[in-house]
Amino acid sequence: MELTINGQRVSAEANETVLKCALRHDIHIPHLCTHPSLPPFGACRMCMVEIEGMRGYPTACTTPAAEGMVVRTETEALRELRRNILGLMMLEHPSACLLCDRREQCEEFRPSSEKVGRTTGCHTCNNKEVCDVRKLSEDLGFCQLPVPPLYHFRPLERSDPFIDRDLNLCILCGRCVRVCKHQHDTSIIDFVGRSSISRIGEAFGRTLLEADCRFCGSCVDVCPTGSLADRYAKWFGKPDSWAETTCMFCEEGCALHVGLEDGKAVAVRAVDEDKPLCVLGRFATAPFMNGTERLRAPQIRVGDVLREVSWEEALTRASEKLSACKGGAFAVVCDTSLTLEDRYVLKKFTTDVMASPNFIISVPDGNGRAKASLPDGVTAVLTTGDFLTETQRDALDVLVVQDCYPSAILEKADIVFPAALFTETEGTVLDCRNTARPLHRLTTPPGQARTDGEIITALAAALNTSGFPGNDRATLAEAAGIPEATLYSKRESVPAAASNPAKRSAWFRGHNLALLVGGLKSLPADGEPVAAEEEASLPTFVPTDKRIPFQVLSKQEISPNNHEIIFYAPAVAKKAKAGQFVIIMADATSERVPYTLCDWDANEGTITLIVQEKGQSSRKLALMRTGDTAAHIVGPLGTPLEIDNYGTVVLLGGCYGIGAHIANAKALKAAGNHVILIVEARSHYLHYYQEELASVADEFIASTIDGSNGVKGHSIDVLLRRLKTGAKVDRVIAVGCPFMMKTVAAETAEMNMPVLAALNPIMLDGTGMCGACRVTIDGKTKFACVDGPFFDAHLIDWEELKDRRNAYSEAEIGSLLRTEPVEHAHHAHGHGCGCGKS
Amino acid sequence: MAIVKSDVSFIENVVAKYPTTKGGIVAILQEIQEREGYLSPDALDETARLTGISVNEIYGVATFYSFYKFNPPGRHVIQVCLGTACHVRGGSKILKELERLLKIKVGEVTPDGKFELNRIACLGCCALEPVVAIDGKFYPRVTARKLPAILAEYQD
Repeated sequence: MELTINGQRVSAEANETVLKCALRHDIHIPHLCTHPSLPPFGACRMCMVEIEGMRGYPTACTTPAAEGMVVRTETEALRELRRNILGLMMLEHPSACLLCDRREQCEEFRPSSEKVGRTTGCHTCNNKEVCDVRKLSEDLGFCQLPVPPLYHFRPLERSDPFIDRDLNLCILCGRCVRVCKHQHDTSIIDFVGRSSISRIGEAFGRTLLEADCRFCGSCVDVCPTGSLADRYAKWFGKPDSWAETTCMFCEEGCALHVGLEDGKAVAVRAVDEDKPLCVLGRFATAPFMNGTERLRAPQIRVGDVLREVSWEEALTRASEKLSACKGGAFAVVCDTSLTLEDRYVLKKFTTDVMASPNFIISVPDGNGRAKASLPDGVTAVLTTGDFLTETQRDALDVLVVQDCYPSAILEKADIVFPAALFTETEGTVLDCRNTARPLHRLTTPPGQARTDGEIITALAAALNTSGFPGNDRATLAEAAGIPEATLYSKRESVPAAASNPAKRSAWFRGHNLALLVGGLKSLPADGEPVAAEEEASLPTFVPTDKRIPFQVLSKQEISPNNHEIIFYAPAVAKKAKAGQFVIIMADATSERVPYTLCDWDANEGTITLIVQEKGQSSRKLALMRTGDTAAHIVGPLGTPLEIDNYGTVVLLGGCYGIGAHIANAKALKAAGNHVILIVEARSHYLHYYQEELASVADEFIASTIDGSNGVKGHSIDVLLRRLKTGAKVDRVIAVGCPFMMKTVAAETAEMNMPVLAALNPIMLDGTGMCGACRVTIDGKTKFACVDGPFFDAHLIDWEELKDRRNAYSEAEIGSLLRTEPVEHAHHAHGHGCGCGKS
Repeated sequence: MAIVKSDVSFIENVVAKYPTTKGGIVAILQEIQEREGYLSPDALDETARLTGISVNEIYGVATFYSFYKFNPPGRHVIQVCLGTACHVRGGSKILKELERLLKIKVGEVTPDGKFELNRIACLGCCALEPVVAIDGKFYPRVTARKLPAILAEYQD
């Protein structure tokens, strides 16, 4: 079958659509709702083409290729149509960043996305690096919205394990709905409602858990936007590379596609796109491999405690202990979660080195739990996991443990070797069909952990054994008669646990997985002991006249992700001056975070702050309720804004900096200045405090990047335009994110005009002792907490500031809840929470 | 408090009347609503079990149509007309005031189940604008001030 696409003669295969045929011949047709692993749908209309003899613009994804067809995919009319369709789609997606004139500078200043509670722009979107919408908008030259966009204020859905959902980013392409139906032949999610309130969801607003979701993660994998995200993987960004190996959580032998970054597994997908993995393979692999509890160093028992020692010392100690109990008194206990090679080495060790017949493979039950029975007379055991009962352990004289995670068995262990896990090991495994599957070493074991084979080989060497097989895989495979392994890359059927999470294995090497990967607690496996559900009882706040210091008097999300919190802090309110800040600890273990004082009332003893949910500490604050009390608030800190009669002062505000200008404007106006307040936001729904701001300034101008409210552009654009008309400005004060302030500094560099910027780097004590808030101003080191927060914007070393702010980004990501649901009991209703209750 | 499961056994007979294709679902839901007054979670779960169609999909179909209700109807149904004439004469203000008085949003039922508040496009008596109907009884030329007295007529 031959047809013509854009003047090019191409051949089509039987049953091929125009889109598939074109893509196969490297002719690119923009498309969005189409996905390689899903049947055609024709919903997004992005792949419209012109076909001679056909009316209108048929969609290439649903039109079968036919003999003699003449197709055009790139006419001006089509481009215009596609741009319009994307424009309509972008009305319900935070799309301002796609239209921004400073995209390139932004990209340069913050190439990877920053973590955030609620995403309202590309630079805080977990999907940024792999976003289909961004690519499409670039391809189509998308540059304006037809009308102001709509933001639904839908609540963040974080009450399910493993999956985060922010349906405010959803473009309703339906890929998730279709993949669920296609792979599981059911619909856990579907389109709910109609027209502009239509959304993806479960019946009666149930959670995924209540709707009986399998947590296979396919919906997350196919989502073209950041709406559906893997809570663990989301802030790692796009993995550096992908590699394949076999899953060892059970004996299904599923092939895993592992996303790798710096020797770590950060994301996992099924190799066979049509056959999803179970919740363990998909969501538990990466957190399990990277668990902070992993055993990292060899340990030996000194009295009552285990002490970390070098490998040499641990091996010597083990060989001393074991050489005394060769023969029938010794036993090796392992389960089937070891490679065939490692099992062979272990067996060789038992029979040849230790001269013992007791090589015990305890076969796991249906849930993966293995328990060993020891022959009589065994007094020394080497075990690869927690397979012994307390009585069995207590009866032993020598216990050597090589394991990946701590367990009860360590209480009795004499020597502990840290063992590698399956993405860290090379070898062969047998699946339940007795087919050999390959295991590849993709990631680096934590600390000094080694593979089981390496540990045993080293132990044999420490016991002065000659002729013990080395760790060469080929030699071992030949000696042990291990068959050639092939990856299970095309599964015959969906693994049972992927259709029913209760069928997943619950134990691995004698460890209860739910205790090591928090999210699994919500998905109990059959036969797994379930911890008694703790009754969530939160004290309800009864308003009284008595106020406690640091108590939250009111709390609301005033614009998406910006929370206004009014605290009772009379000592702070009494002394506060414009431009100063406080340092807050949400609870006793929380980080100390500085927040600018937006407003205060010395008589009432209250202070008002704008908190943006970014990481763990700000999330704690953002989830506080009226009546809750913060652990501590210290302030006012920092040098107040210098107030004088300068003439005309322009205040530029963005993001969390908008609120801070209330105090600044009041003070400057009181000193006789003509105050022009210009605030920017990406879109109209992100503006807040407009009336309050307008009332404290002489002139108030709002700007938005998408032009949906006030002037189109950034606040600096408004200022520059005004300066061009010959207006005289005596002073500029910028408060906002570093990118916004840096842009202001860069674009006013040539002008002879004082520009101040308020810096908020990482701080600890806020009194100039720790030096954490160090910034470089004009080549000199200053402390933002005591010398600042205001500095001459033209003299600030912005690159250093950025680097210092990002210094702990990995630890910050690590501190977030990664797999378990985010506790939303502390949900505080507000304009932005979107839950519809008051 | 024990959750009382509603009796949904009648659904079996309803489902049996229709062919096993998906096409029957709209009619099945219609019969359920006719009998129950609304589509309860129990009823939809039962329908899903009997038809083999996922409850989420059924809910998706049902929410597409404004005809289906998902909460028990109020004992008294208030309809606020927002047709052109009523709209011009402040129908939306009447609706806002009713929302404030009843402490519910349009489309909702008061927690005690007494009133249900709906908007309607035209009641066909434009000369009486703005008009409110409660249980089919028409109140002409309503003002926000008259509303408390009108609501007070419904004591039960």
